[in-house]
Amino acid sequence: MADQKTITFTIDGQQVTTSAGTLVIEAAKQQGIEVPSFCYYPGLTLQAACRMCLVEVEKMPKLQTACTLVATDGMVVKTATPGVHKARKDMIEFLLSNHPLDCPVCDKGGECELQDMTFRYGLDKTRFVEEKFHIPEEKWSPIVYYDRPRCILCYRCVRVCDEGMDVKALGVGVRGVQSLILPNASGKLACEECGMCIDICPVGALTSGTYRYQTRPWEMTYVGDPCAHCSNGCKTTLSVRNNEIIRANNRDHSGINGEFLCAKGRFAFDFTSHAERIRQPLVRRNGSLEPASWEDALEEVSRRLKQARETHGPSAIGVIGSNHTTNEENYLLNRFARVTLGTNNIDHHRTADYVGLAAALGPRAKDSLATMADVYNSNAVFLIANDPNNQNPLVAWQIRAGVRHHQTKLYAINGQPSKIHRQAQIVAEVPQGAEPQALHWLATGQGQFDANTAESLVRLKAALEAEKDVVVLFGASIQGAAIRDLVSFAARFGGNTKFMALGDYSNSRGAADMALLPDRLPGYALLSDSAERARYSKLWSGEISEKPGLTARQMMEAAVASQIKVLYVVGANPAKTFKIAESGRIAGLELLIVQDMFLTETAKHADVVLPAASTYEKEGTLTNTAGEVQMTHRSIDPQGPRSDFDLLRILSHQLAMLGLGTPIRLRTPEAAFDEIRQHVPGYELSVANLLAGGAEQASASCKAPEPNYNPPAGAVFSSDDYLFTSGTLGSYCSKLSSTDEAKEKPWGSSPSTQSWWHR
Amino acid sequence: MELPPELNDKFNDLVSRYPVKRSALIPMMMYAQDQFGYLSDEILDEIAKRLDLNILQVTETLAYYSMLRRRPAGRYHIQVCTNISCLLRGGNELYQHVQKRLGIGNKEVSPSGTFSLEEVECIGACTGAPAMQVNYDFHENLDPDKVDAIFEQLQDGKTPKPEPVTSGALHERLKAEIPIISKRFGIRDSRKIDTYLQNEGYQAIEKALKQMTRDQIIDEMKKSNLRGRGGAGFPTGMKWSFVPKDSPKPKYLLCNADESEPGTCKDRPLMEMDPHQLIEGMVIAARVIDAHQGYIYVRGEYRYVIDILDAAIREAYDRKYLGKNILGSGFDFELCTHTGAGAYECGEESALMESLEGKRGYPRIKPPFPATVGLYGCPTVINNAETLSTVPAIVRMGGDAYAALGVPKNGGTRLYSISGHVNRPGIYELPLGFPLRRLIEEVAGGIRGGKKLKAVVPGGSSCPLLSADEIDVAMDYDSVAKIGSMLGSGGTVVLDEETCMVDFARRIMHFYAHESCGWCIPCREGTAWLRKMLDRFHEGAGTPEDIPQIDELSKNMLGRTFCALGDAAALPTISIVKKWRNEFEEHLRGKCPYAPAEAIVGAH
Repeated sequence: MADQKTITFTIDGQQVTTSAGTLVIEAAKQQGIEVPSFCYYPGLTLQAACRMCLVEVEKMPKLQTACTLVATDGMVVKTATPGVHKARKDMIEFLLSNHPLDCPVCDKGGECELQDMTFRYGLDKTRFVEEKFHIPEEKWSPIVYYDRPRCILCYRCVRVCDEGMDVKALGVGVRGVQSLILPNASGKLACEECGMCIDICPVGALTSGTYRYQTRPWEMTYVGDPCAHCSNGCKTTLSVRNNEIIRANNRDHSGINGEFLCAKGRFAFDFTSHAERIRQPLVRRNGSLEPASWEDALEEVSRRLKQARETHGPSAIGVIGSNHTTNEENYLLNRFARVTLGTNNIDHHRTADYVGLAAALGPRAKDSLATMADVYNSNAVFLIANDPNNQNPLVAWQIRAGVRHHQTKLYAINGQPSKIHRQAQIVAEVPQGAEPQALHWLATGQGQFDANTAESLVRLKAALEAEKDVVVLFGASIQGAAIRDLVSFAARFGGNTKFMALGDYSNSRGAADMALLPDRLPGYALLSDSAERARYSKLWSGEISEKPGLTARQMMEAAVASQIKVLYVVGANPAKTFKIAESGRIAGLELLIVQDMFLTETAKHADVVLPAASTYEKEGTLTNTAGEVQMTHRSIDPQGPRSDFDLLRILSHQLAMLGLGTPIRLRTPEAAFDEIRQHVPGYELSVANLLAGGAEQASASCKAPEPNYNPPAGAVFSSDDYLFTSGTLGSYCSKLSSTDEAKEKPWGSSPSTQSWWHR
Repeated sequence: MELPPELNDKFNDLVSRYPVKRSALIPMMMYAQDQFGYLSDEILDEIAKRLDLNILQVTETLAYYSMLRRRPAGRYHIQVCTNISCLLRGGNELYQHVQKRLGIGNKEVSPSGTFSLEEVECIGACTGAPAMQVNYDFHENLDPDKVDAIFEQLQDGKTPKPEPVTSGALHERLKAEIPIISKRFGIRDSRKIDTYLQNEGYQAIEKALKQMTRDQIIDEMKKSNLRGRGGAGFPTGMKWSFVPKDSPKPKYLLCNADESEPGTCKDRPLMEMDPHQLIEGMVIAARVIDAHQGYIYVRGEYRYVIDILDAAIREAYDRKYLGKNILGSGFDFELCTHTGAGAYECGEESALMESLEGKRGYPRIKPPFPATVGLYGCPTVINNAETLSTVPAIVRMGGDAYAALGVPKNGGTRLYSISGHVNRPGIYELPLGFPLRRLIEEVAGGIRGGKKLKAVVPGGSSCPLLSADEIDVAMDYDSVAKIGSMLGSGGTVVLDEETCMVDFARRIMHFYAHESCGWCIPCREGTAWLRKMLDRFHEGAGTPEDIPQIDELSKNMLGRTFCALGDAAALPTISIVKKWRNEFEEHLRGKCPYAPAEAIVGAH
C-alpha cells in the first residue's frame, strides 16, 4: 500500500492526527469518542440513512453526518454540543414512533442497539399517540424470521448479504414509512442461510429460528469456541443456558473470522443435543450392541485389545483417527497406537495434502504459510481446484472482502463452478480434474490444452508473474508433484508468496501436524529418521518401529482381506468415507472399537462403542487449514460421554495394568499441549494469546524439502462437503438440513437447482 | 415467454439505449404493463432474463414506483388528483363523485374490470385543476357533469377527447409577458420540426457548433444569469463549468423532466408544444460539456409527452440535428427519452440517476456531485427541461441581452404556472423579478369570486407560504429568499380567504409522506407522523399541545434529512403553523371551521 498522508483536525477540543481519508466517525472512535450510528458499519458501503451520527462542524451551517464526512486539515468537529444532543434525541424519537415497544418479549432485548441508544441518548417519554404502522412477522426460512415493525431500516442486512456474502438475497420493498426488507424468493429466502443478516441486525427485526423466544440474553453464559465443522476455524460464540447450547453467533467479533460465520457455525450446533447421541457405552452381546457401564466397557476394550495383540501381533491392529478431534487427542492417539499398541498402522481421512505442502516447502513453511488474515490482506489470490464459497466459506469471505476493500485480484484455475469466480480477474476453466496438468504447464511449459483453456492459462500466467505478495490456495486434488509444480511456478511471483492447502474439517491440518499418518511422527518427521524416532520413543516411554504402517484405506482393505484383525476408530467413519463395508460388518475383523458421538455406519458394527464428547464439550486446541491454532472450551457438560482425551488416557492406564505399555501421565489437555509446544517443531506457540481467545499460527513442516514425495494413491481426497453438509456430523445437525437449500446440491446436474448457487 | 412482436421490438430498442442494460428496467416494466395491464411473474422473469438481473433486483425496483402494479387494473384506469391545486378547485369533491359513480374506492377495480380508480398525487395539470387521467389521457377543468360525460363515452366504448394541450398554456398574450421560450406556443404544428425551423429553430445550434468555442458558450451562459428552473436556482453556466475537461470517462447530459412538484406544470407544455427547442438546447449543452449521450427523464404520467418527444427526436435525427457528425461539425450526440414510473423523489438529481440506472430512486451521498460522479459514475450535467429549453434563445440573442430581460443575478424570463383560486389560472412567461401582486391581480385576473387573498405558495408546495400582506415582492430567487421563502419551480398557488390552512398543511404532508423514499429516518418517520397528526387534528381530535408539536417535529426534520425532501415537507408546515396558528386553535373546538368534516378525504 502507498505511503499514507496524515491530516490534523480538532474533535471536541482535542487535536487529532490521523491518516488522510479517515471518516470523522472513525477518527472519533480512535479518540474514544462515541458517535452513535445504526447504519454505519465498518467495511460496508456508506448510507448516511439513520442520521444518528450528526455532528457540528465549524463553518458548516447544517449538522453533518460523521459517517460520510472525511476529516480534513484544520476541520473543527464538535460531537457534544446541545444541538448534537438534541438531534440524537429527536432521531431516537422518530425511530421509536413506529417501533413496537415489545422489548420484554423481543429476542434482542438486553443486547439491542436501539435499546442502548435510547437509554443513552433518547427521551424518557413518548409523544407519539397515533396508530403504529404494523404488518405481521414473516418466516423467510426455518432459520430466518423478519419482523418489519421492529426494523429500523439501517440496511445492514441488505449490504452484508450483497457486499459481504455476494448473495444478494435481500432488497428493499415499497417506500416511505412502509418500506421493508424483501427476501428474494416471493416472501422466502433462497440463499446460503448464513444468518449474517441476523447477526448484523441492530434490533430484533431479524431473528434466528434456532433461538427465538427461548431465553433472555442475560440468562446465558458465553463460550467462544472454534466451529466444529469445516477447516477454516471460525470462532463461534456458544450461548449456554442450563447446560444446553441455545445459540451460536458472533458475539464479539474477536475471532480470525471477524464478523463472519456461515450456516454451520451459526446453526449447526444442535448435534450436541441430538436424540441419537450416544450417552453411555455400548458393548456387543449376543450379536447386538447393548448399554454397558463404563467399567465393563473399558474392561472389555482393554482385555480384548491385549488378547488380540498377543494373538495376531501389532501389525494386525489398525488405528483410524479423526480430523475433528483435538491436537492433544491426536497426539495421544499417536502415542497410543505407536507405543502402547506398537503399530504404525495409523492414519485418518486426509482432505488436503498438508504433507505434500510440508514436503514441498520444508523449513520455508515458517514464512510461507498464509493465515486467514493474509488472504484478506494480499495483493492477489491464486486459487486452484476448490470452491471456497461452499468448501471454505471464511476463505471466500476474506477474498471477497479483499476485493472489495483494496482490490485484491483473484486468479483461479478450476474444474468446477464457484460463485467466487465472480470476483476473479481471470478464471482458467480446465476440465474437472485437470488442474494438476495446468499447474504442470505453468511450471514447465509442458502439456496440451484446448484453445480456450490455453488462452486463459497464458493470460493467467502473465498476470500472476507480474504480481507480488500472492496468497496461493489449493484444494485436495493438488497433491505431491502438483504442489511442487505450484511452488516452483510461484517462485516467479514477486514479494513473499504464501500458501494454504484447503482441507475439509475442523482439525484436518492438526491431524496431519500431529501425524495421524502411517509414515511420520508429529511435526512431519519421517519414521526413517532415527533421531526423531528416538526422541519420541523417549518422550513416550516405548519403542517406535521404523516400518511405515498402512493408510486408512489400506487398513480397511486389509481388514476385508483378513490381514487387519483389530480396528480402533476414533471420531471417524471409515466405512462411509472409504465406501468399504458400508452395509455390514467386515467378516475377518475380530475386534472393532469405536469412540464417537453417534452410532455411525462404522460404529453400528463395532464390538464396543465408547461415547465421546464433542468439540464444544471439551478442552483442547484445534489447528485450522491455515495452521492457526485456537483453544476450544467445554461449553457444556456432555452428560455421559467423555472426551477422547480422557478415554485414551484411561485406557492407557487400564492396558498398563494388563502389562501393555505405560500409562499416559498427561492429566489434562493443557499438559498435553505443553508437551506438544515443547516437542513438536512448528508448535512452539505463545500460549497467552491462545488463552485470551486468539489464534497463533503453527508452522509444522518437513525438516527438508522432499523432492520425491507423493501421497499414496487414494489417501487424500475431499469430502465434497458444501455449505449444508458436514461429513457424518452433518447428518445430526437438524437445523442445517431443515432449509430448502440443504436439499439442493450445489454441483448437482439440474440447472434449476444451480440457479442461485452460482449466479 | 413469447412476447407480442411490438413489445419485443420495444424491449430490444430500450435495451440498446443504455451502456448498462439495467437502465432499461423501469421503461420495460412500464411498456410491459401497458401491454398486459399489470406485471405478472412471467413478464418479470422475462425482463430479468433479458437484463441479466435476479428477480429481487426487479421486484425491489418495481416496488418503489407508484405507477407499477402487480395486479390488473381496469381497462380504464381513472386517476383523480387531489393535490393542492386540484384540492383548491374541488378535487376532493370530484374524487368523491367518481367513487360514487363507479361504485369503487381507491385502488379498486370495478367487477366488470372496466374501471379502476386511484387517488393520485399531483399529475402536473395544476392550471387545469381539477384534473384526472384516464390511462395516459389528461382531462382538465372538470366538474361532475364533465366527468359523467367522459364516463358515458367510455362505457359506450368511445375514447373521450383528451385535453389538447396543458390547460392555461394557450391564451391571449398579456402585455406583461415576454415570450422567449413560449414563443411558439399556439403556432399550428409547433411541435413539428418544419414549424420550428421556420421560427428561428436550430439557428442557435449552427452558431454554437460552428462558430463558438465551448468556453465562449459557457461565458454567454454565465452572462445570461440563467439559473436552474427546477427550483434550486443554481447558475447554469457555472454548473456546466464544473465538468472536468480532462476526465477520460464518457460524460452524460440529462434533462430533468420529472416535473412533480405540486403546483408546477410548466415543463409539460414546453415539451408538448416545443420539443425541438429542448432538443436544440440539449445538443448545445452536450457540446459544451463534451457529452455524446443524453437522456430526457420524463415522469411516467406524461406518456403522451414522451411520444411527442420521441417523434421530435426521430425528426431531429432525420435532419442530422442529432446523431453522428451533427451538421458536419464533427460532434456526435445521441439522445433518447426515458420514462419514470411515479416517484416525486426522482426529481432529485441523484435519485433520478439511480432511477435511470434501473434502481430504486434513492438519492446519493454528496459529495461527490454529479459533475464529477454522476450517471454510471461518470461526469454528468443535469438540468431542468425549462433550463435547457432556454439555451437556444441565449445563444441566439447573447447572454447580456437575455440577462437584461430580468433583474440583476436573475436573468431572463421564466414560466409561471399559476393555479388555485384565481380567475385565470395559466402558464405565463414573465421576466424574473416580476411583482407577485401583479402576477396574481393582473396576470391571473385576481381572486375568483371577488374573495380576499389569504395565502400564496410562491413556487411549488415545498416553499414556505406567504400571507396576503407579503405579496409585494419581486419574483426572483433572491427577493423571495429574503422574505423567507423560495422562488422554487414557478408553481404559484393562490389560496383565498375560505381555504382551511390546516387542511392545506394536511394535504401537503400527505404528499410528502407518500413520496418520502424512506431512506432516512427523520423524513420517513417524520412525514408519516405529521401526516397522522394533521389528519387527526383536522378531524377535530387535536389538543393544544399538538400545535407546538407539529411545529417542533417539522423542525426536527429540517436540515437533518438525507436530501431536501424532508425540508420540503417541513418548510411549508412550519410557515403555516407560524402564520395561521389561529386556524389551528379554531380547530380545537372540535370541527373544521371551513369545511364539513365528511368532505375530508385522505390520500392513501
